[in-house]
Amino acid sequence: MTRDPITLTRRGALGALVAGGVGFALFGPRGAPPEAEGKLVLQYWEKWTSNEGAAMKAIVDAFNASQDEIYVNYFSMSGIDQKALIAIAGGRPPDIVGLWAFNVPAYAEAGAIEPLDDMARQHGIERENYVDSLWPLLTHNGRLFAMTSTCGTIAMFYNRELFREVGLDPDRPPRTIAELDEAGDRLTARDSSGSLTRIGFVHAEPGWWQWNWGYHFGGHLLDREANRCLASEPEHIAGLEWLDATAARLGGARAVDSFRSGFGTYYSAQNSFLTGQVAMIQQGPWMANVINDFRPDMDYGVAPFPVEESLYDPDNPIGLVDSDVLIIPKGAKDPEASMRFIAFVQRPENIQHLAAAHCKNAPLKNMPEQFYRDHRHRAVEVHDLIANSSRGYTQPRTRVWPQFEDAMRVAFNAVWEQRSTPAEALAGVDRLVQARLDDVERKRRLRRDLA
Amino acid sequence: MSTPNAIKRELTGIAWISPWLFGFLAFMVLPIGMSIYYSLTDYPVIEAPLFVGLDNFAELMRDEIFWLSVRNTVIYAVVSVPITTALSIGLAALVNQKLPGVGFFKAAIFVPTLVPLVASAMIWMWLFNGELGLINRGVMLIGLDHVLGFFVGESSYVPAWLTSASWVMVALVLMICWSVGHPMVIYLAAMQDVPRSLYEAAEIDGAGPVRRLWNVTLPGISPVILFNVITATIGAWQIFAVPYIMFGDGGGPGRAAYFYTWYLYDNAFRFQRMGYASALAWVQFLIILFFTAIIMLASRRLVHYRAT
Amino acid sequence: MATMRTQRVSRLAGKSASFVVLAALAALFILPLLWMMATSMLPIDQALSSELRFLPKPEEGGGLVESVELAAAQAAENYPTVWNDPIVTFPLYLRNTLIVAGLSVIGMVLSSAIAAYGFARVRWRYRERFFWLVLATMMIPFPVLMVPLFMIFSELGWVGTLRPLWVPAWFANGFNVFMLRQFFRAIPQDLDEAARIDGCGHIGIFRHIIVPLSLAPLGLVAVFHFMFVWNDFLGPLVFLTDQSKFTLALGLQLYQSQSGSTPWNLLMAASTMMVLPVLLVFILLQDSFLRGGSTEGLKE
Repeated sequence: MTRDPITLTRRGALGALVAGGVGFALFGPRGAPPEAEGKLVLQYWEKWTSNEGAAMKAIVDAFNASQDEIYVNYFSMSGIDQKALIAIAGGRPPDIVGLWAFNVPAYAEAGAIEPLDDMARQHGIERENYVDSLWPLLTHNGRLFAMTSTCGTIAMFYNRELFREVGLDPDRPPRTIAELDEAGDRLTARDSSGSLTRIGFVHAEPGWWQWNWGYHFGGHLLDREANRCLASEPEHIAGLEWLDATAARLGGARAVDSFRSGFGTYYSAQNSFLTGQVAMIQQGPWMANVINDFRPDMDYGVAPFPVEESLYDPDNPIGLVDSDVLIIPKGAKDPEASMRFIAFVQRPENIQHLAAAHCKNAPLKNMPEQFYRDHRHRAVEVHDLIANSSRGYTQPRTRVWPQFEDAMRVAFNAVWEQRSTPAEALAGVDRLVQARLDDVERKRRLRRDLA
Repeated sequence: MSTPNAIKRELTGIAWISPWLFGFLAFMVLPIGMSIYYSLTDYPVIEAPLFVGLDNFAELMRDEIFWLSVRNTVIYAVVSVPITTALSIGLAALVNQKLPGVGFFKAAIFVPTLVPLVASAMIWMWLFNGELGLINRGVMLIGLDHVLGFFVGESSYVPAWLTSASWVMVALVLMICWSVGHPMVIYLAAMQDVPRSLYEAAEIDGAGPVRRLWNVTLPGISPVILFNVITATIGAWQIFAVPYIMFGDGGGPGRAAYFYTWYLYDNAFRFQRMGYASALAWVQFLIILFFTAIIMLASRRLVHYRAT
Repeated sequence: MATMRTQRVSRLAGKSASFVVLAALAALFILPLLWMMATSMLPIDQALSSELRFLPKPEEGGGLVESVELAAAQAAENYPTVWNDPIVTFPLYLRNTLIVAGLSVIGMVLSSAIAAYGFARVRWRYRERFFWLVLATMMIPFPVLMVPLFMIFSELGWVGTLRPLWVPAWFANGFNVFMLRQFFRAIPQDLDEAARIDGCGHIGIFRHIIVPLSLAPLGLVAVFHFMFVWNDFLGPLVFLTDQSKFTLALGLQLYQSQSGSTPWNLLMAASTMMVLPVLLVFILLQDSFLRGGSTEGLKE
């Protein structure tokens, strides 16, 4: 048999490719081996990457150095709430997981996480040391299921340079929705052809909370006692009517979307707030980190997000309170050991270090003055004010929250694209979510009766 | 009669196919059986399943999102399958000629089918990017934005491919057209098997290229078309990875990209409803069977099997 | 005479039209890949600039050569950034993918060949009935089985390991059995007779006749299954939990969805890294791909 040189070269190359692949599979890199001989190794999954992750990693390292029985192995994960649940159901859970507070009800009701009441007591973790609005985020039906790692309240960031440019007082940011609209109109700019070049305020930027507008008109989304979805209450309709009106004032959703489509990604110098393409946004304290990293000279201000006129109260702002939480999955190797790490994170100096590094407000009462002096967020006290307000609100505490949030997002989009009126869209949400709430309750009863 | 020899022969056969048979039992029959049971339960992953009879199926009928996902998936299948079929047959006919550089063209059209789904999702997210994406830059370059603007009553309008509920489906269909290279190659192989004598006979009858394609090629490759249409339809019912990667949680703008498999995945692994997800899986299987049967029936008079 | 000439002219015109259409379409199909590679060699501000660029902008007065040099320099910056990302550890994911691919390709080729032999060359009574089952399995899509498979693997303690991704490959699959059966059946029966006279049993025939004569289709099964593993997203998404066990497909998605999202030029560099090996395989094995070999069996 004769073979032409091309075939031979091809075979050679293919052989080399296969050999390379096999070699890489056999001798390639492996996961970092833990330096943990003789210690109990705990797997800790956390959602943070880059700088935020590094801050937590430093605490993990400090914990590992502080004693010689336990070694905590830190992993950054994406889609962590789904992955952790799959791992728990699959019988190979990690030992500690960093979740979002909104995961707690679903995990707790599914029996996927360990209750922490007793262990917390043993470690001297006391409710009264924490900011009041925070504790409900850690509990479900009266039991403690999570501890905080960092927390943040959502406020309005505004561009003081642009305020000055259009003749607004940078020290007197909008307080009510009407004032926000007015400032928004003045800040919005167009080029000679009428295309948007700057937006004062639009709900869709960054659009991370498309469900909370009604809260700023005095509404709530869930009545937990009555197991009632409140999405179609007048306050939420008012919230989405405001969205509709904003779209109209900006020249229609289509014009806004076409302008927005050129925006850069969140964690970059091209972030639309940093570039001045959007002048006022709803954001959490971590936004200060983005500004510090990419435009440290930017002159920005922070204020509680505006509310409907009758609701304005400077000492008791309305705002979303959220927390990152640490939980111990059911089936973790040694819950006591996991708790030792979690308690270590709760030490004031560690909690402070994390909050400062993430540019967030403090989870603990009575923070030392030096915390505020060194804080890299110039207006962190605004976030503190919301956290300590009696009118802070949390994401609805229900296991159907993922479906609820999806439904709210759909309603938002339908109103934005003018496919339905706010009342219709929210009636749809109500129908869908109420059916889920009733069903979950019915199954819970069925289970209880069987037991 | 089962003589010892006959039994031995059967056992030999079973022994040879045993790798497949074991896989069939363990990874097909067993899961299907379990799935039937799960579909009759409420099963929040970690708690034990609770038997609820046909509740899940009754709920399906009332579930708006289920119907929405069916609707999205049917639209996607009904639009994308004919378009990709026509496109791939057309391309196969084009490359089935003696032309300079045809080998290169064939390779160029085929290569995109090899791009892993995750990577092609990334590439197309970039292509579809509102102002910076190559597609909209092209749209503006050839002035199509003014044409589109005319329809929406503005001076110029570029599609918001991935951010507007009205464009998402168009974007996904465009994207699937990128991978017609695979069916094209299959059609090409089939075309080359159509006997030359049939073409010559048609030519003598004075048939032009279009008539030859219609009267000779298409009937000649009709069994392959049938096979491809069925696989493409089954494939369309499984669309998941690309929209999931492009849009993250929630089904895309206005849930316009919430496809059946995605809703199934969400129920199982995001909403912790394994029982409901199993009911969805069963219904998906029945729908696929139904579609296949329809295609088979509809094609009866159109497919010509050559005697071999 | 005249009609023949007009015929020839119109044929030439038809061919030229075909050529132009094909060339345009081929360019259109290849353009996304070119743009992916071009973007991966741009600095981020130029990738995001309103001026369309395929190569970096040279200094004042520079030409194409300078642009290419700049692109190379930028690539030398972008690709290592992606490869050495501290969170999304691509080298590790590559290794995991290769392990899964290697183990499942070997298993798939062996098990499918053995089963196909049983369906093609062993005479037994219920053979055709079982073969119908093989065809039927090709109809059942993975999503239908996803939930119970997850439960089975979690009972076995396999969720979070690579096993759910490669162990099933050792038990053949309908499509490959079907395809190999068609090939095996086409091998002349007299060869078996000769071997049997030499004292060979089924195992001997399989090893000494069928396998050596079917290297090409077996290679095809290997390549297609490799492609499947390289491409698979849903399987790893459902069965893998621990990030150090991720495959490349999952890793690339992770890279894109990281908090704060990833710049386009780096994302395109990561995508290019995932596409290049497949392109290489294609260049080496072009003919097998373009022959439409995977459906060889359909001709009946």
